[in-house]
Amino acid sequence: MMFAQRDKDQAKLDLISAESKADIDNWVAKYPADKKESAVMAALRIVQDQNAGFLTNELIDAIAEYLDMPAIAVYEVATFYSMYERDPVGKHKLCICTNISCMLCGSDEVVSHLEKKLGIKLGETTADGKFTLKEVECLGACVNAPMLQLGREYHEKLTPEKLDKLIDSLD
Amino acid sequence: MMQGLKQFFKSLFMLELMKGLSITGKHLFARKFTLYYPEEKAPISPRFRGLHALRRYPNGEERCIACKLCEAVCPALAITIESEQRDDGTRRTTRYDIDLTKCIFCGFCEESCPVDSIVETGIYEYHGEEHGDLYMTKEKLLEIGDKYEKDIAAARAADASYR
Amino acid sequence: MHGVSDEMSDLLNIEINGVALQVKPGTMVIEAADDAGITIPRFCYHKKLSVAANCRMCLVEVEKAPKPLPACATPVTDGMKVLTKSPLALEAQKSVMEFLLINHPLDCPICDQGGECELQDVAMGYGQDMSRYHEKKRVVKDKFLGSLISTDMTRCIHCTRCVRFGQEVAGIMEMGAPGRGEHTEISTYMERAIGSEMSGNVIDLCPVGALTSKPYRYHGRPWENTTHDSIAPHDCVGSNVHVETRRNQVMRVLPKENEAINELWLSDRDRFSYMGLTSGDRLLQPMVKQDGEWKTTDWQNALNYAVEGLQRVKTASGAETIGALASPSSTTEELYLLQKVIRGMGSNNIDHRLQQLDFANQDTMPAYPCMNQSIADLDNINAALLVGSFTRKDQPIIAHRLRKANKSGAKVSVINSVDYDFNLDLSQSVITRPDDIASQLAGVVKALAEVTGKSIPDVLASSISSVTVTDEHKAIAADLNDAENATVLMGIHAMSNPNFSAISSLANAAAELSGATLGYLSAGANSAGAWLAGAVPHRAPGQQATDGKNAMQMITDDMKAFVLLNMEPEYDCANPNEALSAMSSADFVVCMTPFATSTMRKYADVMLPVAPFTETSGTYVNVEGQWQSFTGSVPPMGDVRPGWKVLRVIGNFLKLDGFDYLASEDVRDELDGLTRELETNSRSEITAVNLDSSKPELTRIGHVSLYAVDSLVRRSEPLQQTDDALAAMIAVNNVTAKKLGLDSGQMAVVMQSNTRVKLPIYIEDAIPDDCAFIPAGVTGSVELGLSYGPVEVAGG
Repeated sequence: MMFAQRDKDQAKLDLISAESKADIDNWVAKYPADKKESAVMAALRIVQDQNAGFLTNELIDAIAEYLDMPAIAVYEVATFYSMYERDPVGKHKLCICTNISCMLCGSDEVVSHLEKKLGIKLGETTADGKFTLKEVECLGACVNAPMLQLGREYHEKLTPEKLDKLIDSLD
Repeated sequence: MMQGLKQFFKSLFMLELMKGLSITGKHLFARKFTLYYPEEKAPISPRFRGLHALRRYPNGEERCIACKLCEAVCPALAITIESEQRDDGTRRTTRYDIDLTKCIFCGFCEESCPVDSIVETGIYEYHGEEHGDLYMTKEKLLEIGDKYEKDIAAARAADASYR
Repeated sequence: MHGVSDEMSDLLNIEINGVALQVKPGTMVIEAADDAGITIPRFCYHKKLSVAANCRMCLVEVEKAPKPLPACATPVTDGMKVLTKSPLALEAQKSVMEFLLINHPLDCPICDQGGECELQDVAMGYGQDMSRYHEKKRVVKDKFLGSLISTDMTRCIHCTRCVRFGQEVAGIMEMGAPGRGEHTEISTYMERAIGSEMSGNVIDLCPVGALTSKPYRYHGRPWENTTHDSIAPHDCVGSNVHVETRRNQVMRVLPKENEAINELWLSDRDRFSYMGLTSGDRLLQPMVKQDGEWKTTDWQNALNYAVEGLQRVKTASGAETIGALASPSSTTEELYLLQKVIRGMGSNNIDHRLQQLDFANQDTMPAYPCMNQSIADLDNINAALLVGSFTRKDQPIIAHRLRKANKSGAKVSVINSVDYDFNLDLSQSVITRPDDIASQLAGVVKALAEVTGKSIPDVLASSISSVTVTDEHKAIAADLNDAENATVLMGIHAMSNPNFSAISSLANAAAELSGATLGYLSAGANSAGAWLAGAVPHRAPGQQATDGKNAMQMITDDMKAFVLLNMEPEYDCANPNEALSAMSSADFVVCMTPFATSTMRKYADVMLPVAPFTETSGTYVNVEGQWQSFTGSVPPMGDVRPGWKVLRVIGNFLKLDGFDYLASEDVRDELDGLTRELETNSRSEITAVNLDSSKPELTRIGHVSLYAVDSLVRRSEPLQQTDDALAAMIAVNNVTAKKLGLDSGQMAVVMQSNTRVKLPIYIEDAIPDDCAFIPAGVTGSVELGLSYGPVEVAGG
């Protein structure tokens, strides 16, 4: 519309929880006052965590509103990085590196073992919503390949036994 | 000196006349090869450039996509095309006219066509009785294409390996 | 040029392909090469956009550099030796080309860009005849971008010119490049239609056929079009355009590069209005109404009928009962001849100021409303005050210039009656009801007097003494005063404001006090030309004072005959209701119009088909005062004739002197002779103002929507489908809505001039208290009265 929108759309902002807002504000404070949009990656991560690990278009819109950015700019960031999810994911997201070093050290085996164990393919989520398998590019842990990332932890030098132990330890 | 002498004897014995008459005589008794057109017709090359036609795909869809290359390449400016977006979103002509009285049958249209839509068939027996009869419209051209598709396809296939 | 500063003005010596060049430091290699006429292939680089260096097509060899460098992102250094055609450079360019073609569909035969495609052209020079790629090509779903731009996103090569255009020129980032690597797709967020008023430029920018014109889609090929130079007929900028025609039909309109006016941009209105030319309303033959029946006739008959009718009225009720109203987008020649005919008959009743309400200051107005500075000058201003102007939509090219200035630090403030969405950072935004704009401006004048220490002109001092100065006024005053180059611009809404004379006087005072340049951004393409041509009741060409009725008086003062030029009273007049009843009660109405409507058939007696801008020669005088002449691009359709020819023959039939023109240039030259001596000045006398007029309880804000400004635009279907083409509606703010009991989404009954219409209600905080925004010039609101004035509203 041709009319200026001076006030922020409260309905959109309400999608972001108070804690998330406080967290985003911490990040905003780290950048110069007129470079609020620098906090967009942090904001996307915070809001993703708030929403069971994935982002919706409504949430992307809310972040755009909160950081005074064009929605498309936030959307660009959210679609660029593979760590942002735009579809629901399981409680535990297993990100397996299949890049060259891991592949040479046996990531194919890791993938097939997990696929068999969980009964899902790469990019899928188990029916009970517990596990998601995701193929990712190099996470910089080539020294201990093959590896996967679970939450914020790296699990390295993977073997089928290690994987079984890991999966069984997860509730 | 020698030349003049030669010439003198040649004309004296009517050698040249005899030579000419011998050819006449040979053909008088040889097998004749006159074609009794229209009862008889000469075979034509698959590259023969006769009457134009617009072709369709086997599913009945017209081939022409209104790229207008034939219109652009036509040295006689005989082709006129108008186009727009058809309801299904494809690019189609709304008008495809060839003025056969302008056409010089150079075959450039056929050559430029990226989808083998406009072709020149082997048909060379056609006429117009009234002014405008030789102004081909899209409907007329498609009709010709539909009628002779078998021959057109066969001619294209025969020539395919040389293209 | 990038980053050139004064102290570094020493030129650097470089060599491109062995040609020695001297260039300014900070220049990119590609710019230096372009200036020297050396072609380097490129896709993402565009001289008007920032450097992205993402297509890599412009790789060149630079001596001592270990690998090829992108020419668009490599600044020149002293002694640099560049080779654009060396084996290394060619190898690099050809390899990049091969990569670009991997995913490009090569569907040139069905692509609208075919024949004018940068990728096609460059592929001819740098591509291979066979692809080595046999895998599956990438396919991208087409995006919906609105009614103006059609997409074939599979063809996109991700140069991001369109994205950068949105961010840098249009000023709103609507397009982006979500995804990464092979999954990158150019798109708008959630496929929203593009709302920019300059969006059509991405069609020109797109180097491939990914973004093409929707109205032109599949209609033609560039090689079959003939290009004609012309001038855009919708705003006072006078953008230079190329009208492309084929077989005597206008196929499309493209911008013509003119660095001093529109650079290489064009507003959507100028680009797509041609679609109205073939509207079903086009009048193709002269028609006369005899015994209540419309009959098609020839020109001889029609003109005789028109002239006899006018003469009958003249004999019966006197020449002063004949009036003429003309669209401000008519050509100067038409306007000049129309006033010559009307004045020749003994009447001075001619006007083009159809939306104006306050004419009190007309005698002190300058020779014609202009900006008093060139359009390019706006790039360098440091402060601007816009009064009653939604520049962004009214004159997109001016807004683009202001935006450029704003980006380099200029402080732009507005005093408006609607809080419009500007595409720049407004320093101050004063939003007030239309009848208060003058008071707000008075506040700025007072604040200016304070900061400058100068005294307010005596005539004003007492009348604005009661005005309170707010912080905003002070800030605007400080901005204007501090700026080296400041300007005060009065827009269309200021000129149609019921207090225009007060606003004009105060704006003059503000300019006087701050030393700012005063300017008008007038309505239509040719308000300036209309003033010069004498299409105003109070001044004949050459400034000779006359006494006639203005547009408002003509429709209220019981005229007996009207001559209408290129206009439809119900859409173009400030009081459509009165205008229509004036037409119906007149004895004789001559319509010179490209379009005939059913309403016109009711009130008119003769309809003469005159040519729109593509079919006539003419001149538009733009807001800088530049006379820009153009010739017809196509012959007139049907029996249509250029307006100036019709008026010339009417002059002949009336046996008036001086109507022996052979060409439109003769008309122009005659007027040029009359006006050559005139001073180009937008300043006028500062007069006393009255700010205490009574204010209605609820006032209408009847701005003319951007796609309703003239009869041609109103008939351009693609433009009417955009969001900017407002439908009839009533917008009020929350406070007013509560007061009136209105609810968003419901219907309101709007009463004005004894007519009631039902309009959908929108709640918009951009509207000031006690105001109802009801756009003028659109179907649904044309039955109403004054565009600014009391209005009654009740919940439906």
